[in-house]
Order: sequence, then structure tokens, then C-alpha cells
Amino acid sequence: MKKYIFTLLLPLTLFANLSVAVSYPYIGALTKVIGGDKVDTVVLAKGNWDPHFVVPKPSLITKIRDADALIMNGGQLEIGWLPPLIDRGANPKIAINAKTFLDLSQHVELLQKPLSVDRSGGDVHPDGNPHFHLDPNNILVLAGVIKEFLISIDSSNSAVYEKNYTEFSGMWNEKLGLWKVKMAQKRGVKIVQYHDVMAYFNHAYGLTSIATIEPLPGIPPSSKHTIELIELIKKENPCCILHDVYHSTKTAEFISEKSGIKVISMPHDIGALESIEDLVSLFDYLTSAIK
Amino acid sequence: MKKIVLSTALCATLALAGEGGGSFDQSKFIPDISLIVDTSFVHRNVSNSDLDNNAPTSNYGNYGTFKEFNRDNGFNLNYGELALHSNVDQAFVLDAVFHFSAGSVEIEEAYFTTKTLPYRLQIKGGKFKSDFGRLNSHHHHTWDFVDAPLVYNGFLSPEGLNAPGVQLQWLAPTPWYMRVGFEAMQKGNGGTFANDFDKKDGEALYIGYLKNSFDIKDASVLLGVSYVNGLSNVKDADTSTQLYKGSSEIYGADLSVKNYFDSYSYISWQSEFLYRNMKSDDKLLFDDKKQSGYYTQLVYQMDESWKTGLRYEGFLQDSNGVKTTADASYKTSEFAQIRLQYSHDEAFKLRNENKAIDEIILQLTFTIGAHGAHSF
Ligand SMILES: [Zn+2]
Repeated sequence: MKKYIFTLLLPLTLFANLSVAVSYPYIGALTKVIGGDKVDTVVLAKGNWDPHFVVPKPSLITKIRDADALIMNGGQLEIGWLPPLIDRGANPKIAINAKTFLDLSQHVELLQKPLSVDRSGGDVHPDGNPHFHLDPNNILVLAGVIKEFLISIDSSNSAVYEKNYTEFSGMWNEKLGLWKVKMAQKRGVKIVQYHDVMAYFNHAYGLTSIATIEPLPGIPPSSKHTIELIELIKKENPCCILHDVYHSTKTAEFISEKSGIKVISMPHDIGALESIEDLVSLFDYLTSAIK
Repeated sequence: MKKIVLSTALCATLALAGEGGGSFDQSKFIPDISLIVDTSFVHRNVSNSDLDNNAPTSNYGNYGTFKEFNRDNGFNLNYGELALHSNVDQAFVLDAVFHFSAGSVEIEEAYFTTKTLPYRLQIKGGKFKSDFGRLNSHHHHTWDFVDAPLVYNGFLSPEGLNAPGVQLQWLAPTPWYMRVGFEAMQKGNGGTFANDFDKKDGEALYIGYLKNSFDIKDASVLLGVSYVNGLSNVKDADTSTQLYKGSSEIYGADLSVKNYFDSYSYISWQSEFLYRNMKSDDKLLFDDKKQSGYYTQLVYQMDESWKTGLRYEGFLQDSNGVKTTADASYKTSEFAQIRLQYSHDEAFKLRNENKAIDEIILQLTFTIGAHGAHSF
């Protein structure tokens, strides 16, 4: 009897796609590129909202409940929302340390690792800045990590994943060359941000982030800090404020009015702006943003 | 005694967290630790003794005022809540919450949860807050108001349904979120199901619930129904006289709609209705009782810092009046909150006379240690 059921189920599982849940849209895009038609991707967070403040809605539990694997950004970016979903998802395949769980931050070098942490310094990222996907060079590394991960859980399609990766990396290397040329004359340009989301982008292209509008990580703007920032801007002459799409630009506009500095909207992920539909358009936009 | 043992255990844990080093260093295995401190200033127009010595009591009667927090006119240190959380191994997670208050330490919760059961099943065991209703499992520091709704205090006791027991939950494979749960719990933490803290011969509470949720654009809808039944063996805590003996059941229904405008602001409307049916063992001694209560609340989170709410609540049978509550809170960060709450309570009776309570509470809540999850 048991055998009979097995033979009935086997063909189904053979043809069923691998279902992979991912925390952010950029991971979804990479997984789709490498997985091709062998993988179904479910993205949990919205690209136009704050990646630090995703709401752990019950409907998200439904999305991870039956996933075969989970890929997250890591570096504590998901600390406020993913743990309760994993706890309540009743799915052993997405448990931390399961072979089908992938933490991308374990595979890239994090910048700004604090030597010591204290919350009087704001809601700091204790493992370092987790917004590493905004260095386009890291995208290639992450694509490789995801390829190896998919092969490790679905070796029967390894040829497909290898082929997709080779195609993607060829295309991406070409783009990296173009973006490098585009950004070459921006090296050394000073910028201001709301939160240090662009740290890896700045690192890749030699931009200098001189200050943030939030006085401390995760703490809303204060008038005292804003006044000091205007003074600093007048002294240092940064080119612009690179502003994320999810915080209010009220303070940035005030600063702009007082100091004459431009405010440029910087998408941090796919879907952050309507025109950002994939990874290429994300970095095409970012590398053209500073005029 | 309890206190001494606990503080020794705490010291040992913290000593481990310090500079370890060496071949047998175990500091990497320290569980997630957080400490929450809740303190308040209260001003109300009823004295502490009148609040404590009114009839009827909350334990079986219509509505009483037995309070767990913010009891005193003036300054209150409500609690220090120490929470530990860690994987035990590949199969179990362990959670423990210790409640330190002025004269006592209580193990508020201590339970394991399974991680690897098949068929989307999870088992929880130990002492834990029941998942009955929308609010019962929520800890005080995550509430939208300083105090619990009257119907929760009256029917489920100020501590809620919280006792040793076992829970089985199943996540259904439906296109929307659906969770089914069953619990069996030792009775005896006040409320409808007895304040009899004597030895109990396996008299249990049986609890069941069904929770549903789905999204309409950026709005999440939550719909739940709950049920609990058990024996009511209520005695006066001081004199041990029998106040009620019978069997009781409570039916609950809840509906919440929470609409997010962006990452930081939302508006939520939440309502709950509880119906209680108490059947007396001996009609000559005690009457059967049927009563229901409700609350409905509107909460608006304006941005990362500011939040405000309005709550309206009362009882449908044996009701004296309604209670209205308004609050506003400000967060300096995710870890510190200051809140001001005003309430006008016409449901209160002082020595069988109607007496409205006006109450202002200024509450401060702080968290240190591990980063908790964002609430939903
Ligand atoms: Zn960040």
C-alpha cells in the first residue's frame, strides 16, 4: 500500500519546481535568473518600503509555509520581522541551519563592522552594514552563491543553473565595465544620505558620504542635527543628497532650500521606483543619478 | 527563596556573558536576553483601598477592578520582565519569561516549541499564555493601551489564560492564512476558572481556536473564533468561602483590519466580543450566569515615533456603563516609549453604588538587550 502511494507521488515531485522564498526583491531577481524555469520564487518584502521595517503579516507565513528553501540577506537586516515568521511557519526546511536555508551575508565581506556596539549610538547594525547588494560587484558574488546553493539542493538541474549563471555573469561583467566608465569621473564626489544605505555603492565608485540626515542609525531627524548638517554642507560642498524612497523627504527638502543642495531619489531595490524592474535597470539608474 | 535561586541563576548567566576566553569558553551559547522595565505614574479619583475593597469581585461576578499593573495612586514600578530565548537543539526552541515585581518573582512563561514536526504541526508545552482570542497571548509591553480591556480582566483574569499545559497547532494549507489550535491547561489562575490555588486533581481547561488572515492591498484582515471550557471553583482568597461552583464556557470572536500607508504608519481597527455561560452545580446556592463583553478600538500610528488610540468597551448584561480610553505615545527609538493615557470608566461599582473612575496614567517602557520582533 505504502509503495503504491509512493509511486503515485514520485512523478509529481519529479516535475514539481523548487519553490524558493526570499526576503527582498533583489534576491528574488537573482534566484529567478539562476533558477530559470526550474525554480518558483516568492518575494516577502516590498521593494518600495523600508527593508528594516517589513511588517510580519500573517499572510507572509502563508508564503513561507510550503517553501522548499529560504534565502535571506542577513547581517541582521531582517532581525525585526523574519524570525517570528520562521518561528510560526512550521516549516523545517526554512529553519536556520537547515541545508535549504541560505544567509547571503555569510558570503560577502561586510563594511563598517563596529568594534563595539551600544544603543546610545542608535539602532546600529552590529554585524556591519548589511546593504551589500548595492555594490554591483557583489551581485556577481551573490549570483555565484545562489547558483551553488540551488545545485546543493537540486543537483539534478545543476547543468541548467550553471548555464544560467554563465550567461548572467557574462552579461553582468559587460555592464560592470559600462558602469565603471560612467562613474569614473564621479570618484571623490561628496554626498549626503538619509541612512547609510549606499555605503557599498559609494565604496565601489569612490563616492564619499560625509553625513546622514538621521542623527543616529534608525533615529528620526532632529532640528539640532539638521542645523548642524546645513552648516556642514555649506563648508564641505557635497554634490547632493542621495535620498531613499521610503523616508519622508521633508527634512531633505528643508536642507535643500537652506543650502541649495540637490535632492536625488535613490532606489535601493527592484520596485523601489516604478521604472526599476530588474537588477540592470536598478544599477543603470543609480549610475546615472548623479549628474 | 524563589527570588534567591533566580538571582543566582541570573548572575551565573551574566557572568558567562562576560569576558570568557580559554579552551572551555561557552559565551557563544548565551541565549537572546532582554529586559523590559515598565514604570508609571497614576492619578485616579478613587482611593487604592476603595479600588481593592469593592464588590462584586472580578472572579465570578459581573465586573470588578482587580488590577495587576498601575495599582497605586502615585508612582508604580509595574515589573521588570526578563526574557530568554534560544534553540535547545535541532528539535526544540525554549522561551522563558520571568516577571520581577516589588515583592515577588514569577515564572510568567517557560515553554518549549517544536521545530521539526511534519504536516505543518507545532507543539508547545510548559507554562504559556494561551492563544485564545486576539490579545491573550500578547505581552503587556506590546499592548495598544496601558491596560487590558475590562472583559479580559473580568472573564480571563488580569493575567489572562496563562497556566501549565500543552498546545497543538496546525497551519492549514489554505490559500489564505489559517491556523487551528487546541490546548489543555491546568486551571486556576483566577478569572472565570477559579482562584482556587489548592492542589488540583487534573481539572483542566480545554481551549480551541481558529485564526484566519488575508490581505486586501495594503490592509490585513484578521478573523478569529475561540472557545474555552472548564470548571469554575471560585473561593474567596481570604476566607476560603465558596463563591461559585459550576462549569463555564467562554466563546470569543475577533475582527481586526490594519491598513499600512507606508513602512511606518498605519491605521488599525480591532474589535472583540466574548460571551460567557456559567452553569451552577447547585442552583440553590448559586445562579446560572450569562454575560458578554466587548471592546472596539481604533489605533493610528502616525510615523516612527507617534501613535494614538481610542477604545470603547463594556458589557451587554449586568452592565453599569461603558469605559472610554484615549492614549498617545512617543518613542525615542524602538527601545523606549513614553505614553499618556486617560480613561473614564462608568462600568465601576463601589460598594454596589455606581461610581465613575477617571484615571490618568503616564507610563514609561524600556527595553534593553536582544532586538525583539516588530509587533503585528
Ligand atoms: Zn541599514
